[in-house]
Amino acid sequence: MALPLEIKDLEVRAGTRTLLKVGDLSAPAGALIGIRGPSGAGKSTFLHALSGLIEVRGRLCWGEVDLARLRPERRTAFRAHNMGLIFQDFLLFEELSPQANAGLSGLFRTRHDRAPIATRAAEGLARLGVPQGNRTVGSFSGGERQRVAIARALATDPGLLLADEPTASLDRRAADALIEDLTGLLRAGGKTLIAVSHDAHLLERLDRVLTIEDGKVTDDTGVQAA
Amino acid sequence: MRDSWDSLPVLAQDLIIAGALLLPLLVIGGILLRGFRPLPLVRALMWRFRWANLLFVLLIAVSTGMGIGLIAQERGLRTGSAQAAEKFDLVVTAPGSELTMMLAAVFLQPSAVPLLDGAAYDRIANHPQVQIAAPIAFGDSHDGAPVVGTIAEFVTYLSDGQIEGRIFARSGEAVVGAAIDLRIGDRFTPAHGRGSGADAEAHDGVGIEVVGRMARSGSPWDRAILIPVETVWEVHGLANGHPFEDGDRIGPPFTPELFPGTPAVIVHAGELWANYALRSEFTVAGETMAFFPGTVLADLYRVMGDVRQAMSVMSIVTQVLVAASVLLGLFILTRLFQRQLAMLRALGAPRRFVMAVVWGYGVTLLVAGTMLGLAFGYAAALVLSRIVTHRTDVLVTATITWAEVNLALGFLSAMSVLSLVPALVVLTRPVVENLRQ
Repeated sequence: MALPLEIKDLEVRAGTRTLLKVGDLSAPAGALIGIRGPSGAGKSTFLHALSGLIEVRGRLCWGEVDLARLRPERRTAFRAHNMGLIFQDFLLFEELSPQANAGLSGLFRTRHDRAPIATRAAEGLARLGVPQGNRTVGSFSGGERQRVAIARALATDPGLLLADEPTASLDRRAADALIEDLTGLLRAGGKTLIAVSHDAHLLERLDRVLTIEDGKVTDDTGVQAA
Repeated sequence: MRDSWDSLPVLAQDLIIAGALLLPLLVIGGILLRGFRPLPLVRALMWRFRWANLLFVLLIAVSTGMGIGLIAQERGLRTGSAQAAEKFDLVVTAPGSELTMMLAAVFLQPSAVPLLDGAAYDRIANHPQVQIAAPIAFGDSHDGAPVVGTIAEFVTYLSDGQIEGRIFARSGEAVVGAAIDLRIGDRFTPAHGRGSGADAEAHDGVGIEVVGRMARSGSPWDRAILIPVETVWEVHGLANGHPFEDGDRIGPPFTPELFPGTPAVIVHAGELWANYALRSEFTVAGETMAFFPGTVLADLYRVMGDVRQAMSVMSIVTQVLVAASVLLGLFILTRLFQRQLAMLRALGAPRRFVMAVVWGYGVTLLVAGTMLGLAFGYAAALVLSRIVTHRTDVLVTATITWAEVNLALGFLSAMSVLSLVPALVVLTRPVVENLRQ
């Protein structure tokens, strides 16, 4: 289930240094949001904060749940049940098949969850056109690998998808094909996307783009989907 | 409590000890793996670092196998030598080294030993508690096998009567051990001496016929050729222990004045308790020495035990070093895999699952290495046993018992506990930091 985002006075610090400061920010459930900005501006830190991977101050609510107030293990559990993550360099287990990679979350979920995750992983791979079979993903192209990573992120049926430069490792053609498939899937499923990206092709397909500079949101374009 | 334990069958005790040794591994495994399926990721780790893993498994196998092989071999040697000496209650020889005399008389190792005279033999043979007093005369050989002169009663006693054919009944006949390559009806001429210095022509013209074959005993006597002691004396141009008018008679009684001498007399008493009195009686300063081969072997085992202990310490040190290197390897390999492990945490995997993957990986290496080590130890003991058996004719049997299994399980269990350390260290690393690397 997609959840609305509400941020108030969010702050991420490293010692005495403030890495990120976001005043008020909210987004409805199902919004596709891009984050851009120069290197080192705090984009990835914002994404890590939104995913609960780092400690934050202030208020960071996904629906009714304030991640800033949760202990790390509770944040991990929240992530497991509500978020899918996509990484720039896929982070797949190259020795495993696409199905095993896509259904990875089933390995640490309850017996009850395993079968639906495996089914969704298979469906996701099929929808994204990933070759099935016993081949390991080590022999896959970059585009195929990122599709496996997307299938993995969606296999738990999360309401939120957080992506860090999802097209950065792909050539233009593969990136465009992926953007088409990804946005199509998310809109069809009513899921929220927050994607850090420099890819203008991706950003222009999203509902809204935030610009982060020097740890602050300096622009909120509210760009509408094409 | 102690009584309850002692009342249990040995197998039950061994199983309980094995279970207790495995308990830490099972408890940790149960806690970490409950509800999770880390196996595909363990398999991925195994395949990713397959050559390093193979090396670790071999290291563990060699270190475990060394310890196991050592214990199994030493036990096999003890059992085999004790079984080989089983029929030799009491040995009487001229004074000297008990060990040398035992090796010569019981294990038929070539040795120059002084002789007992007819009077000494007569005193032994006519003692009321002595059932068998078998003179043993050696020094000749055939095809490398010792030709031993003795009496028919001893052959029957030695073989428990299990003889194919018959026992020698006159001079010039022989009963061969089970491992001798001669058939009943074959004839041979003994060589004087044994080994490379044996003179094959010294007894030319002497023909000895094989009339019987003893069943296998697992002792050096399987490779011995037993002939009447009179034949040994006769082929060496000595009196045969009997007056001329006795004709071809063999066996006791012997006439002391016509008794050329014997290196040893194997004594079998009518009653077990009598052996102690006989040992005391036949130990006469400057004349005769009586000893129990079992006691000499026990002294030998004590020395062997010290050597084994020293080697066991070396083996344990090796195992500790291997354990340290495996742990270090786990640290290094999990570091190479840390982005994937951090990704698991980012996807929402609980800490326990990540620990289960790392720990499961380590334990898989350990289990594979330990199992291979058991097989390696058994194979090593088997090969060594065959070599020792071939060289000494003492039947050394290699077996892996619960002692070795428990040693391996103890190592496995201790290492499985230590494998928690790299698993815990993985969790101390910040997820975001690892993802960025």
